[in-house]
Amino acid sequence: MRPFAADAEALFPELTLRIANTLARLRAAQGVTVGCSAKRAVWSCGKTTLYQYLPVVEAPPHAPARPVLICFALVNRPYVLDLQPDRSLVRRLLAAGLSVYLIDWGDPDDADRCVDLEDYIERHLGGCVRHILDSQASGALDLLGVCQGGVLSLCYTALHREQVANLVTLTTPVDFHTPDNLLTKWVRELDTELLQRSGNVPGEVLNGLFLALMPFRLTQHKYVQLLAGNCDQRAVEDFVRMERWIFDSPPQAAVALAEFIRWFYQENRLIRGTLRIGGKQVDLAAIRQPVLNLYALADHIVPPAASAAMERCLGSRDYTACGIDTGHIGMYVSRAAREEIPRRIITWLKERH
Amino acid sequence: METPFTGAGFRPEAAFASAAERFFELLKTFGMPGAGAAGAGRDWSSMAGPLAGQFEAWLKSSQSAGPWFAAANAAFPGLAADFGAAQVGSFGPLPLGTGAAPQQDAQRTWDLVARLAQLQGQLAAHWSEIASTAARRFVARLGATAGGAPTLDNALKLYELWVNCAEESYAATVRKDDFSRLQAELANTSAALLVEQRRHAETLVRAFGLPTRNEVDALYAQLKDLRRQLAELTDAPPAKRAGAQRPAARPAGSRGRKRTRKPRA
Repeated sequence: MRPFAADAEALFPELTLRIANTLARLRAAQGVTVGCSAKRAVWSCGKTTLYQYLPVVEAPPHAPARPVLICFALVNRPYVLDLQPDRSLVRRLLAAGLSVYLIDWGDPDDADRCVDLEDYIERHLGGCVRHILDSQASGALDLLGVCQGGVLSLCYTALHREQVANLVTLTTPVDFHTPDNLLTKWVRELDTELLQRSGNVPGEVLNGLFLALMPFRLTQHKYVQLLAGNCDQRAVEDFVRMERWIFDSPPQAAVALAEFIRWFYQENRLIRGTLRIGGKQVDLAAIRQPVLNLYALADHIVPPAASAAMERCLGSRDYTACGIDTGHIGMYVSRAAREEIPRRIITWLKERH
Repeated sequence: METPFTGAGFRPEAAFASAAERFFELLKTFGMPGAGAAGAGRDWSSMAGPLAGQFEAWLKSSQSAGPWFAAANAAFPGLAADFGAAQVGSFGPLPLGTGAAPQQDAQRTWDLVARLAQLQGQLAAHWSEIASTAARRFVARLGATAGGAPTLDNALKLYELWVNCAEESYAATVRKDDFSRLQAELANTSAALLVEQRRHAETLVRAFGLPTRNEVDALYAQLKDLRRQLAELTDAPPAKRAGAQRPAARPAGSRGRKRTRKPRA
C-alpha cells in the first residue's frame, strides 16, 4: 500500500528543481548581515560590554527621559532584538524616542571559568546600571529583561529597588518546577559540581540541548518548509539571519551555569524565596515597582505557567501580564514581535513616565 | 549523513540539504509499491517497518538528544564511532614524559568510557521505541491525508503529519523519568571524563612547573575575596559598593586610565 494514489516518483522532477532553487537561494544568502542599528560601546567589565544605541529620531515632545536597559540571556546573543530593520525591537524603541542600552555578555573563556552569578548580577549588570545612571544623571532606569536575562533582572531589581523604575520581562521563567518544563526534568539529576569542574560549556552543547527539546521540528521540518511555494529570496534571507542567531551561542562560564542549573532549575530557589546572591536574599515580594510580563503561549523552553507564576510572587500592585500567541523564538522575530510586543512595551512604559 | 547542528560552523545549506535528503527518502517510502491503490480498507501497516527503520537510523546518527555526550565526544574523538574498537591514543592519559598518568588513572578513564558506551546502548533502546511508536501513529492517522495525487502540497501535508507523529512519540518518551535519568547520567559521565582528562593534563603541566587550572581558579577566588573585603572597607551601601570594587571595569575605549568614581548622592 502507499499513501499516494500514484507513484511518488512523479513528484521527483519538480521536487528536485525546488531543492536546487532553494539551495541556490541559501547560498546567495550566505552573506546576510545581522544587527542593524548604530550603537557604541560605552562601558565594559570582563567580557561584558554595554552598548548605547544612537537615536534614530529627535526625541519627540513628552518622550520618556528615562533610559531603557536591555538585559538579554547569557545563553544567546542579544542581536536578535535588532536583527534587521523590519525585525528590530531596539529600532522600535528608538523610534519611540527612548534612550536604549543593551548588555552583551560576550564570550567567556577559561579566564572566566569562575565567574559566578553574583559577578554577573552585581558587577556586570550592576556596573551597567550604575554607568547609565551616572552618565545620564538619572536616579533610576527602566530594565527590560529577556528570558534568562529576565531572571537576572528580577534578581537585580529585588536587590536594588531604588535603581529600577519599571521592569519589563520577556519570556522569563520564575517557577522552574511546572510539570511541563522538560529542561527541568532533564537537568534534575545533573551533577552540577562535576559540571562546574569540567570547565566552561561550549555554546554548541547548550544549543544541542535546546534543539533536542523538539528535534524534528527544529532540525528537519523547518528546512523542508523552505520548499513550500512562497519562499522567495527575501524570505530565505530572513530565515538565514535567524539560523545564524540560533547557531551562534556563546560558551557558558562554568560556575555561573552550574549555579543557574542548581539554584533555579533544580532547587527552584527564586520562587521559594531561598535564593541568595552575594549573601543577600533575593525577595521577589520586595519588587514593588510596575512590572510588565510578556510571555509566549506556545513556548517550549519557558512554559507559560513558569512565567505567569510571577504574578503571585511580586510585591508590585502594578503588574501587567500578557500571553502572546507565539513560541519562544516567535517572541523575538514573529509578526507579534514586530507589532504587538513593541507596541505593548512602548505604551506601557510611556504610561508610567 | 552529518547532523548539521552538532558540527562546528554555521551551514544552513548543509542543514537544508540533509533535511531535503531525508524528505526524499520519506517520499520514496510513501510511494513504495504495495498491495494496491489506496482505497477502501486502507491498510498501510506494511509501511510502518521501513518508516520506523529510517527514523531510528536518523535518531542514532544524530545526537539530537545527547548534547552532553557530544561534548565528551569532542574531547575524546572516536568515542562515538565504535566503543569496542576505540583507538588507543584518541583518548585516555597523555602518553608523554614524566606526567604520564599512572595505571589506576588510566583504568578509571577506561571505566568511564565503558560506562558511556553502556549508556549509549540504553539510549538506543529509547530511539527504537520512539521510532516504532511514531511509525504506528502515522500509519493509524493516514486516513484522509492519504490517497491524494503526488503533488508537492500533498507531500508536504503528509510530511507535516509525519513530523507531528514523530514529535508526539518523542515527547512521550523523553518526558519519562527513566529517560531523564539516563540523560543526566550521560551528562554526568561525560563531565567525569572531561574532568579525568584535565586531571591527567594537570599532572603533566605540574611536572613542567606551569600553573595548573586549579591554581588559577584559586587565584580567582582570592581576587574575589579581596574585592569583597575592599567593598566592606568602603562601608558603602551594597549598590555603590560593587562600583568601587571593580578594578577591571572601565568605560569602553579607555586604556586603563584611572577614574575616580564619585559616590552618588
